[in-house]
Amino acid sequence: MKRTAAAILLCCLATGAATAPSDQAARPPRVTSSPATAPAPPPHLPPSAPPGTTPPAPAPGEIDAQDALPPPSSAAQDLYASARGDLLQIRMLLKNGRTQSTVGSGFLVGTGNLVVTNYHVVSQMALDPDVYTAEYVDTDGNSGPVELMAVDVLHDLAVLRVDRSGSGFFKVPERPARLTQGQRLYSLGNPLDLGFAISEGAYNGVVTRSFYDQLMFGGPINSGMSGGPSVTGNGTVAGVNVSKRRDGESVSFLVPVKYVQELLRRVAAQPAPPRDFNPLIAAQLLEHQRAMVDRLLEEPLAIKSMGPYLVPVRESGQLRCWGRSNVKAETAYTLDAMSCAMESAIYVSSSQQTGHVSMTHQYVRSDNLARLPFAALASRLFGTAQLGSAGDQRLTKPVCTERFVHTRTLPLRAVTCVRAYRKFEGLYNFTLLTASTNAAESSLQSRLDVSGVSYENGMRVTRAFLGSFGRNLRRPAAVPAPAAAPAREKKP
Amino acid sequence: MSGPWTVEILARNGEVLHRHRAASLPIRVGRAYDNDFVLDDEYAAAHHAVIEQGPDGGLLMRDLGTRNGLNHGRKRVQQLVLGGDTVVRMGHTSLRVRAADFPVPAELLDRTMHGFEGVGPGVAGVLLTGLVALLVTWLFDAQPFELLNYVLAPAAGIGAALLWSSMWAFVNRLFGRYTRLGRHLFIFGCGMAALSGFQLLAAILAYAWSLESLTRYASHAAVATVAGVIYFHLATIKPPLRRRLRAICAVAAVLASSLVLIVNQQRHGRVADELYMAVLLPPELRASPDATVAEYMADVEAMRKELDAEREAQPAGGGN
Repeated sequence: MKRTAAAILLCCLATGAATAPSDQAARPPRVTSSPATAPAPPPHLPPSAPPGTTPPAPAPGEIDAQDALPPPSSAAQDLYASARGDLLQIRMLLKNGRTQSTVGSGFLVGTGNLVVTNYHVVSQMALDPDVYTAEYVDTDGNSGPVELMAVDVLHDLAVLRVDRSGSGFFKVPERPARLTQGQRLYSLGNPLDLGFAISEGAYNGVVTRSFYDQLMFGGPINSGMSGGPSVTGNGTVAGVNVSKRRDGESVSFLVPVKYVQELLRRVAAQPAPPRDFNPLIAAQLLEHQRAMVDRLLEEPLAIKSMGPYLVPVRESGQLRCWGRSNVKAETAYTLDAMSCAMESAIYVSSSQQTGHVSMTHQYVRSDNLARLPFAALASRLFGTAQLGSAGDQRLTKPVCTERFVHTRTLPLRAVTCVRAYRKFEGLYNFTLLTASTNAAESSLQSRLDVSGVSYENGMRVTRAFLGSFGRNLRRPAAVPAPAAAPAREKKP
Repeated sequence: MSGPWTVEILARNGEVLHRHRAASLPIRVGRAYDNDFVLDDEYAAAHHAVIEQGPDGGLLMRDLGTRNGLNHGRKRVQQLVLGGDTVVRMGHTSLRVRAADFPVPAELLDRTMHGFEGVGPGVAGVLLTGLVALLVTWLFDAQPFELLNYVLAPAAGIGAALLWSSMWAFVNRLFGRYTRLGRHLFIFGCGMAALSGFQLLAAILAYAWSLESLTRYASHAAVATVAGVIYFHLATIKPPLRRRLRAICAVAAVLASSLVLIVNQQRHGRVADELYMAVLLPPELRASPDATVAEYMADVEAMRKELDAEREAQPAGGGN
């Protein structure tokens, strides 16, 4: 009796063991089929918008239930049925071996052979045409070659030419359709390389936080849907899927269709596709930095006070400021920090973002540290600035200037380090580090980073920033400031 | 040349291991007990050689027909005229014979301070190390006061001093005659004080007069200090070799400094230790004037040429 029980038990275990691996084998290969990695945004950016295409595949069981698409309405069913012929997946391939490196989506415009997608979907091909090539795959699985016609790095758009024509379903209107908040939009694409999909959500107005206007879309957009269209019920394109907030729920962004029209007009005007996109991208980045710096400096920088110091900041729709303090921490000094940064940067490649401005101020003081230990602390804080790895091949090594400088009312130690872009002539990254040298018991340390600017504009911003430092002369510097830092914002 | 004669057995480095005085010639050498000079060497024959008066009045050593024979230099010899410095090897034993009138060099001048040995310098070294550790702890303490830190740091410093100096004392006992632990402790203490003192001084001078290269290449001063410490340890062990030790330590310091330069170049793309001087000190410690913003920006403008040259130097496309 005992033996038969044991035999049955063994049998059960054996079948369990035999079926377990077959479960594994039966799982579709989707999980391993998207090797592209999304770039980590720079640390000062909020966890928004992976401009990359497909993130690393989630481990089995890790697939988030929240990413599941809501059941489509019958309108969505009809729309998908008529749109599927014009919907394409764009795959970046390594020339050697033709393995895919990233995937995204795109759509055929009207009845022509032009396909609109995101720049970040095709950035590898634009930057390194020797290494990467691309192909399209349609909803029936047919594939064909694509040709890069034009890119718009600033708005994250690209136009491709394919060997087939559209059915005319996706209409890019001459004048953008008027959208009302709450209006239903349908977003199409190939999320996470799983298969073509449609998701619906509400149009939520124009966002001005990023440097260039984007539309806010209240539906899910996942990596891989980048470059797909978001259309109204009748197939009129409202925007191109571009990104989502990683920290939000169904907060996604679209590139407004007016930029698509501009790019299509440019393609129509050009006789042949450009051979080398690098100079064009450099020109667009130069144009961006011109506008960015002009807007940054169109009026004098705002002056805020931190203890006895006056510091320059710029707070606007694009530059958001945050504050923090270590008042409660177990240290013998108090540190208040304020940092302002643009929430978005221009995506150039998965490892390079540019066209960004950030500024940080740290006000350190101590009542119970002696002068020399305080000086050692200030030196340590000043010495920790990271200027990026010297092994970074996209930039030259940093070249620095350091001096004691006196602004109108404040003596400073100033360090400027500049790195040049190797691929894009005329673009530089500027970093300015300053530390006040007027007092032995308090220190104001600031950092300004401007990336992807011309030398003149880098100098302009540096000069404006450096020249704005000052001292609150009404209050003697020796009196420690109250613990509450000014200009501290509430975190949402 | 006259007797008595002294037979000396030498170590490989030339040091005398054993001396034997023979009143008269001939001197018979071998492993057997009926010899005048008995060898403790399994590779020597029972009656290995005899030292006798040569025809010219000098000493002559003769092989008594052995298997391993006599060796002078690298050659085996049947017999050999012995001067005071001629070293003969038989089996594994090297020996030389000196007559009573062999001239010895004049005495060396004794520069050793015999009063400064033992406890005195030892205590001074330990105290110095403890003080340096205290100073460094105080300087880098940004936490609220914690007594434990100010006890632990000197304890650790003194522990390190004892460990380091005991190692040198052991080596000293091996190659010199005495341990001289006190001396080694004192050398370590002074070395630590010099190391931290120089860093502090360099920081202050660099800040006061904008001499950034002082902190930028500070690691080379540290290398030189460490080489100096090692030189003093070695010279304590072998005082007569001072000149040679000095040269060896200088060469080692140059090698270490070049290594620092190479590592900096490989890792950061520059030979300096740091990209910019991070030292900030109280305002009273500054002597150099401030530049205006315009002057500073002119400096920034001047960097452009270097950057563009750097950009041209390596063609684009090496990236990604």
